[in-house]
Amino acid sequence: MATVPKVDVGTDYKEKYGFFVPEDFVFKAKRGLNPEIVKEISWMKKEPEWMLKMRLRSLEIFRKKPMPTWGADLSVIDFENIFYYLKASDKQSTSWEDLPPDIKKTYDRLGVPEAERKFLAGVSAQYESEVVYHSLQKELTAKGVIFTDTDSALRDHPELFKEYFGTVIPPADNKFSALNTAVWSGGSFIYVPKGVRVEIPLQAYFRINAENMGQFERTLIICDEGSFVHYIEGCTAPIYTTDSLHSAVVEIIVKKGARCRYTTIQNWSTNVFNLVTKRAMAYADATMEWVDGNLGSQITMKYPSVYLMEPGAKGDVLSVAFAGKGQHQDAGGKMIHVAPNTTSTITSKSISKGGGRTSYRGHIKMYPDAKNSKSFVKCDALLLDDESRSDTYPYNDVDAENVTLGHEATVSKVSDEQLFYLMSRGITRNEAETMIVNGFIEPFTKELPLEYAVELNRLIQLEMEGSVG
Amino acid sequence: MPFTLQTVDEIASLHGEPDWLRKRRRSAFEAFERLPIPSRIDEEWRRTDVSSLDVAKFSEFEHRNGAAPAEPLEGVAGSTTMRGSEFESVRLDPELERAGVILEPISVAAQKHPELVQTLLFTQVRPDRDRFAALHAAFFADGTFLYVPDGVVIEKPIVGQVFSAEGGTAVLPHTLIVAGRGSQFNYLDEYLSPADEAAGYKSGSAELFLGEGARVGYVAVQKWGRNAWHLADQRARLDKEASLRLFNVTLGARFSKTRVEASLQGEGSDAELKAIYFASGEQFFDFHTLQDHQVGNTRSDLLFKGALQDVARTVYAGLIRIEKGAARSDAYQANRNLVLSDHAKATSIPMLEIDNNDVRCTHGATVGPVDPISMFYLQSRGIPEATARRMIVQGFFGEVLERIPFEHARRLVETELEARLG
Repeated sequence: MATVPKVDVGTDYKEKYGFFVPEDFVFKAKRGLNPEIVKEISWMKKEPEWMLKMRLRSLEIFRKKPMPTWGADLSVIDFENIFYYLKASDKQSTSWEDLPPDIKKTYDRLGVPEAERKFLAGVSAQYESEVVYHSLQKELTAKGVIFTDTDSALRDHPELFKEYFGTVIPPADNKFSALNTAVWSGGSFIYVPKGVRVEIPLQAYFRINAENMGQFERTLIICDEGSFVHYIEGCTAPIYTTDSLHSAVVEIIVKKGARCRYTTIQNWSTNVFNLVTKRAMAYADATMEWVDGNLGSQITMKYPSVYLMEPGAKGDVLSVAFAGKGQHQDAGGKMIHVAPNTTSTITSKSISKGGGRTSYRGHIKMYPDAKNSKSFVKCDALLLDDESRSDTYPYNDVDAENVTLGHEATVSKVSDEQLFYLMSRGITRNEAETMIVNGFIEPFTKELPLEYAVELNRLIQLEMEGSVG
Repeated sequence: MPFTLQTVDEIASLHGEPDWLRKRRRSAFEAFERLPIPSRIDEEWRRTDVSSLDVAKFSEFEHRNGAAPAEPLEGVAGSTTMRGSEFESVRLDPELERAGVILEPISVAAQKHPELVQTLLFTQVRPDRDRFAALHAAFFADGTFLYVPDGVVIEKPIVGQVFSAEGGTAVLPHTLIVAGRGSQFNYLDEYLSPADEAAGYKSGSAELFLGEGARVGYVAVQKWGRNAWHLADQRARLDKEASLRLFNVTLGARFSKTRVEASLQGEGSDAELKAIYFASGEQFFDFHTLQDHQVGNTRSDLLFKGALQDVARTVYAGLIRIEKGAARSDAYQANRNLVLSDHAKATSIPMLEIDNNDVRCTHGATVGPVDPISMFYLQSRGIPEATARRMIVQGFFGEVLERIPFEHARRLVETELEARLG
């Protein structure tokens, strides 16, 4: 009987899989933020002049804009003590042994493959699913779909790039979009041509490039008329990083009759400030759906938004937030109705535990032209103990005639009746609570691809056991 | 009489106010000088523009100027009437007087009953809240003080009326209500001036202190002229088992900003906060509400219903706050806006801050036009469109209106609604 050699994926992944990190890089990372750093980033990437100018202009804007005074307390961020650009090879500084034990334990419990763990933990720079990726790339190219990292897109598709970059979220939109535009690196670029439907979800995972989970990633998705794409970002496993600030910008253009779904599950380690600007423009009869799960981080401020630009556009936000000890999840959604007959829904589910705080913050705006539009917002919060906190801040502005806007929110605890019922069936209290929480977020889970849904349920179980964070 | 320290002293001297009140006015004046004009950078004022309000233009105080005394109200247990800054009359059922009920101008009560007034006046409506609250506390003309002793139950309502007729003036009345343990009564504030009165600055703040087990109904009807600036605070403190039913009716003023707040400080207390508002023409109404559950087993129920027509704008922002220890509390908050025209704008911001898990909180907000199905139904029964519309709006308000515990006030509101709906 032939024995299958046991491969220790953890120690010799590089050798076994021909994985290598270039060692002759010329750029040494420096802390701090100034025009020189920005110029160096642009030079490193061999960018065209216009991008360098845009970066420098954005840096100016970033410096001028005040810190937001609402939401979470951001005063502790020291912008001068951050690396704004690291080559992948610089990130090798952490070793598996240095990882916090709870992160390692979570990987074990979730059953994340060893190689993937190391990638997620920032120990290894890359994680490849090469085979999958190549066959996918071939299929996509045949259809004219572009799926690459944002840096390559700027190099390989300059015209398309310049036409859309920064048009949905201009640098001056807010302090952190300015910061991102000044120092962005990595992220995904997707272009789906007219009438093309991409049937399998595209995942950042599939890409070979190391920079898909950078600190200042920049994602740009263009769905041309009548096309469809589902993009998945992140994963349920915690992402360990020593960087304290993650500030991404995601821009999406959904043209006439197209549909785009953007699924995010993020579980940053609890030292991270996660400040993300996500916005989509939906044109005539187009549909934009954000499915957004926020599990980790110390502070998250993220409000995916849809600008409903032409009649018949539809926007959807489905969001879940889980805040444990020491965490503040300030998340929500924005729907800006500009044109008539547009519709939007926001469904938010939040869970606070162990002194954690979740805030729903949302904005529905109906401009005067948005006649006959409809919007509905529903927020449910579950508080698991008496130390935790939940807030709801929905801003609803209606300037248009004949529109319907509804907002509903409830805050509750796990009901004694439900617990009693489950426990009377011989289920332990903790299991019962976990089941109730999983049931509570089920509207979210059922929108996820199966493997993510399974992982999310397991993760909730871990959070509920108090064995994480 | 400009808004200066000298004027503060003159008002205090004119009323013969005790030293503590003069000091309180002076410290409010300091706050008025210190605090900036709220700007749109402040979250509370983001949608509320006061940049064109120059309070100095309205620094004259309004006097009685020989106006004919108001007809005594029927069916009331007591009443006070103010014209501008001056008292015209104070009437109280002699039997209630014997029972220890006090109904007096605050300026009088401050001297006669410092044990009540000194400890409570401006402790709930804080002068340092913003510049306008400070202005009110430094220069408030006078106002009604009502004290109902422990256990006293008053069947008929007590009404405070403030009339203004001049425009260009500052009319700053303040109401202080102290409800003894287990007392029960209804009190109504009416703020009235002719619709076409020239622009002026008006407040009309009220502080309510509800003792253990007291049951109080408080109604404020604001029907100032259509050019007025109105900025007011209505705030109640509830002790154990106290129950408040507050109704705010906002119909008048060009610009009206009212804070309606209940501080639930005693276990088992219960606050019902209701409002109806109808904004038409160029009216702008702003409501900020707070249901502050500081202890457990407390209940609050808020319902603000408004209609908008023409180019009117309204802002509703309300907060339910459940503090850490306030377990087994129950809070409800709803804001419903009926938009009757193409150009009216409604903003609704119902907020929750929940710091305890053993609670039940729900809130909701809607903004929408008259329901087309209801319209269709009524029209299919042969009712003309205009009538059908009026019926729907009246039905919309009816739910709150019918609970106002005083016929006189209900009629006042109904007449106004009918006039607006044409």
